[in-house]
Amino acid sequence: MRYICANCGYVYDPAVGDPMNAIPPGTAFADLPDNWVCPLCYADKSNFDPLD
Amino acid sequence: MKPSVASLYQAVEIAQDIPPLLIGERSNTNGSKRFRDCLLAEDFDGCLRIGLEQEAQGAQILDLCSAYAGRDETADLTRLVKLYAESVKIPIMIDSTTPTCIEACLKLYPGRCIINSINLEDGGRTLDKVCRLAKKYGAAVVALTINEQGMAMTADEKVATARQIYELAVGKYGLRPQDILFDPLTFTIGAGDENLLDAAIQTLEGIRRIKQELPGVFTVLGLSNISFGLPPAARKILNSVFLHEAVEQGLDAAIIDPGKILPLAQISEEDRAFCFDLIYNRDQGLDKSPLMRFIDHFAERVEVDEADETQEKRPEEALHQKIVRGDKDGIEDILAALLDRYPPLEIVNQILVPAMRHVGELFGKGELLLPFVLQSAEAMKKSVAWLEPHMQKVDQEEGTKVLLATVQGDVHDIGKNLVDILLSNNGYKVFNIGIKVPAETIIAKARELTVNIIGLSGLLVKSAIVMQESLPQYREAGLKMPILLGGAALTSEFVATSCVPNYDAPVVYCADAFAGLKALKDYEAGQLKSTVAAPKNGQPRMKPGVKDVNIDRSHPVPEPPFYGLRHVTDIDPAKLFPYVNEQALFRGRWGYRRTASSSAEDYLELTRTTVMPLYEDLKKRALAEGLLQPKAAYGYFRCYSEGNTLYVESDDEVMPFDFPRQSSPPYLCIADYYRTREEGGDIAAFFVVTIGDKIAVETRRLFEADAYHDYLMLHGFSVEVTDALAEYWHEVMRRELGIAVEKPADMTGYVTQGYQGSRYGFGYPACPDLDAHKMLFKLLEPEAIGVTLTETMEMVPEVSTSAIIAHHPQAKYFAV
Repeated sequence: MRYICANCGYVYDPAVGDPMNAIPPGTAFADLPDNWVCPLCYADKSNFDPLD
Repeated sequence: MKPSVASLYQAVEIAQDIPPLLIGERSNTNGSKRFRDCLLAEDFDGCLRIGLEQEAQGAQILDLCSAYAGRDETADLTRLVKLYAESVKIPIMIDSTTPTCIEACLKLYPGRCIINSINLEDGGRTLDKVCRLAKKYGAAVVALTINEQGMAMTADEKVATARQIYELAVGKYGLRPQDILFDPLTFTIGAGDENLLDAAIQTLEGIRRIKQELPGVFTVLGLSNISFGLPPAARKILNSVFLHEAVEQGLDAAIIDPGKILPLAQISEEDRAFCFDLIYNRDQGLDKSPLMRFIDHFAERVEVDEADETQEKRPEEALHQKIVRGDKDGIEDILAALLDRYPPLEIVNQILVPAMRHVGELFGKGELLLPFVLQSAEAMKKSVAWLEPHMQKVDQEEGTKVLLATVQGDVHDIGKNLVDILLSNNGYKVFNIGIKVPAETIIAKARELTVNIIGLSGLLVKSAIVMQESLPQYREAGLKMPILLGGAALTSEFVATSCVPNYDAPVVYCADAFAGLKALKDYEAGQLKSTVAAPKNGQPRMKPGVKDVNIDRSHPVPEPPFYGLRHVTDIDPAKLFPYVNEQALFRGRWGYRRTASSSAEDYLELTRTTVMPLYEDLKKRALAEGLLQPKAAYGYFRCYSEGNTLYVESDDEVMPFDFPRQSSPPYLCIADYYRTREEGGDIAAFFVVTIGDKIAVETRRLFEADAYHDYLMLHGFSVEVTDALAEYWHEVMRRELGIAVEKPADMTGYVTQGYQGSRYGFGYPACPDLDAHKMLFKLLEPEAIGVTLTETMEMVPEVSTSAIIAHHPQAKYFAV
């Protein structure tokens, strides 16, 4: 399931991961560390909405 | 021969003897969860079954849509088209906006189908491709009345857009009028939106006039939008009556769930009368709105689990429900009835305040969205205002008193004002003393008004520092009341470690307005405590960013069109809308987020029926009333870097812009993206843009008029249009520099910086210090476009933004 940042619209896609935070592809959103933040606007995980 | 579409097995006339032509809507990934689940499970037989069921229920054509993010639309849709072509007797409608996908399906289909749909949203680029395909394969097309300005709301706009499309499709691409089915768009009349009271009338009139003014064309409607927001049983009846009315005006086809339409004969005269009043917005000289009468009338029709909507509710419950639903209509009648039984203060404390607390709880559980909370607050405000003349003065002296201020140097007040709205409508006495308030003033006011709590707000990084550094002043002044801190740049860690030790009474971090409300409750219960740093796995927040440190020194420096500054004051505001980050606006600014209990389809429907019409309306209003006055001050200057400093050369002086460097790898600094003097120097580009003070004035007016919901909407809109202007102007400058080779295809492309270079806003993570504004204002003289600085270097009006633009391809966002 993809998640979208309510603050800036960045989409976290588990299939892609997040290279800006060194998150490898295949990492589910729920498995992202608690201190992970949006790579574009630095909003924390609570600002993300499920997309699919 | 009469205009028809056809499958391998049969032809179906578009103009039915007994209209309308029924187009089944359930074989659609966006409209049907069951269909989507089948597709995701690769259960194509299941997908086919949904089509066969609709055929059995009376559908004459089947809409087929497989668009779903992350899947290959063309692969899915061609597979489904093949399957449906073989096994379903009735023709299909290809529901896609991707020309390549449409063509792949048209090639396969052994008959004549309809393409759903074309519009002019992108100015006609997609329409051009799809019309050529329709001509080539002999297909019919559905055309939505949407153009670059957005969705057509009024009959005039619907007809004008239809005519625009007609002229292209018929005049330019050679389609026949009978090849086009115009959909003049349906918006809900079931949600109580003031701007949509006549939406049904406009749609019906649009149908009539399109048929009259564009002879030979057909009309179609996505029907069920009309009743969004109402209970299922009532929706079925309203949909059916509205369909009947639309057919009367000349509607040829309807996209519907064929199992959920009733023949008019099965609907009683009485039921129809309530539907007609709602559809035609007839008040019948009654106080209650047509919508409220409609809801009351059909209340008994709802399912057992919603049975609390009966008419014989006690007034106590009715008032509670009005507040929770944010429904102001007829609230005075209920209050008058209650006033016979209770003193006014008891109504406030026993019914209204608990109802607002319930609203807060629903929000906390993610079951209620912020815009609806604000509507509840408006209903609360209206109730209290109605009760106030009946109250004795002494009543108002009771209760906890709160002082609210945005700290010195900061002009941002949406956060503080949301706290004000929430607290004052939860029974607290709030003194909101405004923006840019120096600590001395706050201290003096807190003493004078003998408040119990102080709340400080501020958006900027700088404001967090102001809070931290002014707390000792509060201590030395001898204040003993708790202080609440809120703002985007604060974290609980910062408050706990840098603020709490500077003051003797509790200092509490509030992440949002609801946290402020909770703090007040804790205070009253004698349980308010200072924020403590929660050791979240002991990990500091991650610092995202490029890890690439070898910045190519040989990248060519582009040639600017001029050196020095220019002011541009004739920017067309309508050009900004395509650059608006709608996701950030809808979810972030407005709070229309997907709640825990809603599905992707629910959210889509909320967007389509509530959020988009709101947005469209705001765009129209902003243009019609001249609320947007976009202006830019910008320029190109010779420069060179040296260490962390970028030396910018203007006519008479060299200005040193110092940029911070990251304290951990890869140790980036904005200056790194520019060549040194030895490397031949570089060019620096800057801008200050603003959408003007007029919209800020209107925003303030809405807050002062207690129009909380509209206030939040207009404020969010103005902030995101300001960002859109920055995005737009950045693109103009990339074009002027000759580095805008290709435009990003969509908003996601802009969000992820899918262009050459980067734009760093002053005050943002890569250059948080606003002091650079002093030099920037010397360079660009933005006073000429109405932008000035506060004593802490913040721009006024708030709807302004500034940036330095780096052209180097490796320049992207990072944080120091």
